[in-house]
Amino acid sequence: MTQHLTESDVRGIAEYVRIGMTEDEVAQMTVDLNAIIDSLSPITEYDLEGVEPTFHPIGVLVNVMCEDLERDSFTQEVALMNAPKQQDGCFLIPSVLGDGGDR
Amino acid sequence: MTAIGTPFGAMSIRQLQAGLAAKEFSATEVAAASIERIERDDARMHAFLELTADMAADAAAKVDAALAAGSLADAGPLAGVPVGFKDNMNLLNTHTTCASNMLANYLSPYTATCVAYTLHAGALPLGKLNMDEFAFGSSTETSAFGPTLNPWDFERVPGGSSGGSAAAVAAGLVPVALGSDTGGSIRQPASFCGIVGVKPTYGVVSRYGVVAFGSSLDQVGPFARTVEDAALALNAISGFDEHDCTSQAADVDFTANLAEGVRGMRIGVVPAFMEAEGLTDEVRDRVAEAAQKLADLGAELVEIELPNAKAAMSAYYVLGPCEAFSNLARFDSVRYGYCDPGHADLGAQYEASRAKGFGPEARRRIMLGSYLLSAGVYDTYYYPAQQVRTLITQDYERAFQKVDCILTPVSPRTAFKFGEIGDPTQMYLSDMFTISINIAGNGGMSVPVGLGANTNLPVGVQLISPAFKDVNMFRAAAALESVYGPAPVAPQFAGTH
Amino acid sequence: MKKLEEILKTWEPVIGLEIHAELTTLNTKMFCGCKLEFGAAPNTHTCPVCLGLPGALPVPNRAAIESIVLAGLATNCDIEKHSMFYRKNYMYPDMAKNFQTTQGPIAFCMRGHLDLDVDGANADERYGLADLKPGESADNITRTEDGYVAHVGITRIHMEEDAGKMVHIGGGEGRIAGATHSLVDYNRAGTPLIELVTEPDLRTPEEARLFMQKLRQIYLAIGISDCSMEEGSLRCDGNVSLRRRGTTELGTKTELKNMNSFKNLHDGLLYEICRQAQVLEEGGIIYQETRHWDPTAKRTIVMRVKESADDYRLFPEPDLAPYDLSDEFIESVRAKLPELPDDKAARFQQEFGLSAYDARHLVEHRSTAQFFEACMSDAERELGSAAAKLAKPLANLAINDVSGWLNANPDAVLDESPLTPNRAVQLVQLVADGTISSKQGKEVFAAVIEEDADPKAIVEDRGMQQVSDTGAIEAVVDAVLAENPDKVEQYQGGKTGLIGFFVGQCMKRMQGKGNPQIINELLANKLDA
Repeated sequence: MTQHLTESDVRGIAEYVRIGMTEDEVAQMTVDLNAIIDSLSPITEYDLEGVEPTFHPIGVLVNVMCEDLERDSFTQEVALMNAPKQQDGCFLIPSVLGDGGDR
Repeated sequence: MTAIGTPFGAMSIRQLQAGLAAKEFSATEVAAASIERIERDDARMHAFLELTADMAADAAAKVDAALAAGSLADAGPLAGVPVGFKDNMNLLNTHTTCASNMLANYLSPYTATCVAYTLHAGALPLGKLNMDEFAFGSSTETSAFGPTLNPWDFERVPGGSSGGSAAAVAAGLVPVALGSDTGGSIRQPASFCGIVGVKPTYGVVSRYGVVAFGSSLDQVGPFARTVEDAALALNAISGFDEHDCTSQAADVDFTANLAEGVRGMRIGVVPAFMEAEGLTDEVRDRVAEAAQKLADLGAELVEIELPNAKAAMSAYYVLGPCEAFSNLARFDSVRYGYCDPGHADLGAQYEASRAKGFGPEARRRIMLGSYLLSAGVYDTYYYPAQQVRTLITQDYERAFQKVDCILTPVSPRTAFKFGEIGDPTQMYLSDMFTISINIAGNGGMSVPVGLGANTNLPVGVQLISPAFKDVNMFRAAAALESVYGPAPVAPQFAGTH
Repeated sequence: MKKLEEILKTWEPVIGLEIHAELTTLNTKMFCGCKLEFGAAPNTHTCPVCLGLPGALPVPNRAAIESIVLAGLATNCDIEKHSMFYRKNYMYPDMAKNFQTTQGPIAFCMRGHLDLDVDGANADERYGLADLKPGESADNITRTEDGYVAHVGITRIHMEEDAGKMVHIGGGEGRIAGATHSLVDYNRAGTPLIELVTEPDLRTPEEARLFMQKLRQIYLAIGISDCSMEEGSLRCDGNVSLRRRGTTELGTKTELKNMNSFKNLHDGLLYEICRQAQVLEEGGIIYQETRHWDPTAKRTIVMRVKESADDYRLFPEPDLAPYDLSDEFIESVRAKLPELPDDKAARFQQEFGLSAYDARHLVEHRSTAQFFEACMSDAERELGSAAAKLAKPLANLAINDVSGWLNANPDAVLDESPLTPNRAVQLVQLVADGTISSKQGKEVFAAVIEEDADPKAIVEDRGMQQVSDTGAIEAVVDAVLAENPDKVEQYQGGKTGLIGFFVGQCMKRMQGKGNPQIINELLANKLDA
C-alpha cells in the first residue's frame, strides 16, 4: 500500500476541518485514509486527455436565477431556536482566535 | 385494521383509497392504527426514529373533511396514505437528526419541498426514519441511535443508507416512504428488503430541505411495495422547485405507461456486470432470470457495454467525500447542533463538538474530502473524477441510443449480517452497480424479483433509464411485477395485526 | 521615518487594491429572499439559506448578476459568458455554511481598466514624471499639461456573498483582543458582494485614493451600491510591496486592512510604504502578513502572518447551475448603462465650454452634475445662447456652494430642496450683472435655502443691490479722500497698502452696497493721478 498521507498530514487535515483527534485516532485515521486513497487509484490511471469535466449532471441547464423579490424571513426566535447559546438576539460563542482569512 | 385483517400500512394506495372512499374506514382511523402498529411492531426493528402522531391526525382530519365535503380526490393523490420520511428530510417542528449525535436535538424550522409536496398530496406523516449517519453507509449500522433490523431477518442489515425507509415499507408499516440516494441508498436497501425503490433522474425531485451529502449526486425518491405506488408517490413529489436550481420540470405522469407491457421495448443487459467479481451466484441467477422474463414478455434484449463503469467506484469515492466535507462544514456548534460544553475558545469548542458529534464514518469522509480537494491533490483526484463523470455519462448516452432501459443487478449480494463487513473499502463495494447512475445523473430503480436460492433473502434487479425518461424504467418494472407479483410484506410482519 | 519623496528616489511602491462593494440597492440577498437592510434587529433578516441550515439550497438573485455585469461594462471589462460559482471552504463563525460562495478562476468580469487623472501637487508623488513631456507615455502613465493620466488595469470583478457580523464582548471596545465571547448576527450574511481586484499598477497612495474615488463615482452612477465606506458597503484592502528603482521583480507584499475612508486609504498606504522602506533600508525583511491600519495611532499593526498560501479547497459549487450568458442578456444590461462620469465630464467640456478641472469635479457627484444640467437648460430656456456665459459660474456654484451644503447636510436631498435650478440661475445672474457682489452671492445662497425664497426677492427685501452708479460712487470716493488728507499723502508717498483702507471707508459709507470693482477703479484713478 502506498503511504499517501503521514500521521502528521492527517493531523494537519484534522486541524483544518476542526475535528479533534487523539493520537490513537490519528493513527487509525491514517491507516483508513491510506487504504481508501489506494482504492481510488483507477482515477489516476485513466487517459483523460482532452476530456471536459462535468461538474453538474444537469444536462443543458444554465443561468438558473430568481427575481429580486423579498420573501418572509424567520423571526428572531425561530432563527435562534436551535442555538446552543444565545444573547441579545445573537448567537453566542466563545472568543474567536485569529481572523476570517482573506476576505 | 380492516375487515379483511390487512394492516393499513400493508395495503396499496389503491386499496387504502378504495376503503376510504367506500367509508369502510376513515383517514383518522388509518392514522391512529398505523401509529399504534408502529409503536408495537417497530420496537425491535427500529425503522422509525420519531413518530408524528399529532401531525398524522391533523392531516387525517383534513382528508376526512374533504371526503365528507366531496370526494377523496380533492384531498390530493396521496389522500389518506400513511408515509414516513428519511430523517434527513426537514419537516417543520420535528427533529431532523440524520441519525447523528450532531443533530440529536435539532428541530426543523422549515419543511423540505419533497415533504411539503407529500403532505400537500394528502398523505399522513407518521414519522421520521432511521438511516446511516448523514447517509454515509450501506447498512444503517452507522446510525448513532442504533441500527434498523432487516424485517426479513433481524440478524441482517436492511441495507442503507435509507434502511429505515426500506424496512418500514417492507414490514408493511407504511405503503410509501421517502428516501434519498447518493450512490445506491434507495436501491440497495429496497433490494435487501425486497421492495420497489426509485432513484429518479437528478433534478426530478427537489433537494431543498434534504440534508445534503453529495450535492451533485443526491436524489430523493420513493419506496413502495408496488410499482404503481412508487409511481404515484413520485408523481406527488416531483417537479421544478424555485428553491432548488438543479430541479427541473418533469411534467410526466409516471403511472402513464405501467400497463403498456414491454413488447417492443429494447432492454440492455451488460455482460461485464454479470461477470463482475463479487457478484454472488444467487443474485446473478435472479437477474438473468428477470431478463429472460422480460424477453418472454416481448422485450428485445440487447447486450451493451458501459466501459467506463469500472471507474465509477473510484470517481464516486472522490466526488462524494469532497462534496460531503464541504456540506458538513456547517455543523460547527454555533447556530445549531451538538455543542460540547465548557470551552473558553471557539477553536476548542469546534474540535470537541465535531469530534463527538460526528461518528467515525462521517469523520473519515470529511477528512478524505478535505484531503482530496487540497492544493495539488485536487488535480490528481477531483478534477479527473469529474472528467470520468463525462465518460460515464457518454457511456450511458451511447447505450441509450440502442436501448430504452438497462437491466443490471442492484447489489452484488443479498442482505448481510450485522458486523459482517467491517472494512470501509469492502462496504463501499455494496454500491458497485448503483453508483455510476448517480454519477451520470439518470434514473435507476430496484424491483424485487423473488428470493436468492442460497440465502432465501430478497433479490432486486436494477432498471436504468435515460435522463428524464424515468417512465421507461417504470414500464419495465411494471412488467416484471406482472410476473413476480407485488412485493410481499416481510414474512414475520405479514401475520401481525 | 523618511518622507515619501525621499523614499521614492530609491524605492518603487507597487500597489494593488481589492475593493468589495455590497449591492445595497437590491431588495434581497444574493441567494435567498431575505431583505437587504442595514441596522435591523439581529437575525431578523435570516432564513434557512443565509443561516446555513441543513438542507437549504441557494438560488442566485438575477438582479445581482445584472449588477455585476453592469459594473463590468462600466469599468471596461470583458464579460465572460461562461463562469461558475465555487465554494471557498474555511471555518469561521460569521460564515453560516462555513464556505463562501464565490467565483473561481473565471469571474463574470475580466480584464478591465480605468484611467485616472492625476494633477496638481498630487502628481508630484509619481516618480519620473518630470522626465516626460505632455503627451508622452512611460510605464502605464501619460503626461498631461498639469499632471498625468494613469492607466490602471482591473484583473477581475467577481460575485460573492458577504459574511454576518460579529460583536466581541468581554474585552475592550468591541475588539477581538481580550474578548471572552462574541455575538453573531447573520442579517448581513448573504448580502451580494462584488469584489474588484486591480492589477498591481498603482504607484502612489494618491493614485490608490483616486482609483477608489473614481470607482465609487462609477458604482454610484450605475446605481448598484450606496458605497458607504462608513457603513462598510464599500471596503478596500491594499496590497503593498516595494522594489528598488530599476528592478522589475516584485518584493514581498503586505495586505492592508481597515482603510475605511479615502483618507485612511491614502494615509494607510503612505505609512506602509514608509514603514517598508525603513525596514528594508535597515537590512530587515518584509513578511507576508495582513496588517491593520490604526488611524488613531497612525500606524499599521500585524493581524496575521501567512506562513504559506491559504488552501481554501476551492471547487465548483454543485448546487448552482453554471452560467452561459447570452448576448441578449449582456446587451439588455448594457442598455441600462447610464452616462458614466468620464463621458459626462467630456460632454460638459464640449457642450458648455467648461475646463477639464471643473467638468471633472462637477461629475464627482451625480446629484450636482444633474443639478448643473438642469440649471443650464433653465438658463437656455430663458436666455438662449446667452446662457453659455453662465456655465462657468453655475459650475462653480454646483462644485463649491451646492457640494459644500450637501456635505454639511448629509440627509439633504437636492431635488427636494428650496434651491431650484431656476433660483440658481437667478443667483448667478445677479452676481454676473453686478447687482450683488460674489460675497453677497454666498449670503443669498444661504438665504434661498433657509427662507425658501427667490434670490431676486431676497436681494430686494434686504436692499442688497449693489450701487454701480459711477456718479454716486465718485461722490463717496471724493468725500473719503477729502476727509483723510494725511492718508492720501502717505499713499502717494508709497504706502499703497492703504488702498484697502480707502475701499473700506467707501464701503462703510455705502453700507456695503458699493460695487467694489468701481470703487477700486475710481480710487486708483484719483490717487494715482
